[in-house]
Amino acid sequence: MKIRRLTLCAVLTAMACTLFWIELQIPSPIPIPGVKLGLANLVTLFAMFAIGPVDTLLILILRILLGGLIGGNPMAVAYSFAGGLLCYLIMLLLRRILGGRQIWVAGVLGAVAHNLGQISVALVLTQTPQLLYYLPVLLVSGMLTGLFTGLIAQFCVLRIGWIK
Amino acid sequence: MKTKTWIIILAGVFLLGLIGTLIVFFRPTENKIANLYVDGVCIRSIDLSSVTEPYEFTVETDHGSNTVRVEQGRIAVISADCADGTCIRTGWIGERANPIVCLPHRLVIRIESDVVGDVDAVAR
Repeated sequence: MKIRRLTLCAVLTAMACTLFWIELQIPSPIPIPGVKLGLANLVTLFAMFAIGPVDTLLILILRILLGGLIGGNPMAVAYSFAGGLLCYLIMLLLRRILGGRQIWVAGVLGAVAHNLGQISVALVLTQTPQLLYYLPVLLVSGMLTGLFTGLIAQFCVLRIGWIK
Repeated sequence: MKTKTWIIILAGVFLLGLIGTLIVFFRPTENKIANLYVDGVCIRSIDLSSVTEPYEFTVETDHGSNTVRVEQGRIAVISADCADGTCIRTGWIGERANPIVCLPHRLVIRIESDVVGDVDAVAR
């Protein structure tokens, strides 16, 4: 692995972890499990459209594992993995389809995929089918926060451009 | 695909989600039965409309404990030893029909029209 690539991945992982930590410090105003800003997703989105899928996966997995250490909740890692990987797959599919000014779409659909992945794992782990009542809420919140992070990532990608 | 097409598709999905959310949260409740579920199994049912004296009880599970307060027509979790405290911040339900969920303790309180568990009796 080239030094340049290694450093880039390291910096982006550090940024993702910092955003993750900042988000942990903000108490969620909406008392529904799974509703959150998803700031760390910004980095995943940026990396996917500005660097490439392989490095993005690396950053994502490292962020989830380190985030588990920061948050100190092993259960949260399971949720993050399911959400994060589903979100990654959606972004991977959309990468080829979307133009530079449509990156926000990947943010929206990625966030929705993330929430769907999380609620699926929660359903399996907790055996609580009542959680399905939160599906529409998580859809709406995921679309709003995804639009927010998606637009920020889009502006970054358009400004900085493709990083080799 | 054109940006316009994406906007139309996503706006449609958003509207569906919004309608679903409104149904879940603002569904009118006729009979106010609060059903308490642990691990998806109803452990207790409380007829909130027949409550005269407010009272509290603690739900002890393998995962932790939640203290529930019941008043005339409404119910809330007032304290819990879970990590996130989401169940406490949900506040009172009864007038609103949204469920209280404590994910770490796998506890769900839902306002429903049917009695599912034993009325006012802790089954375990």
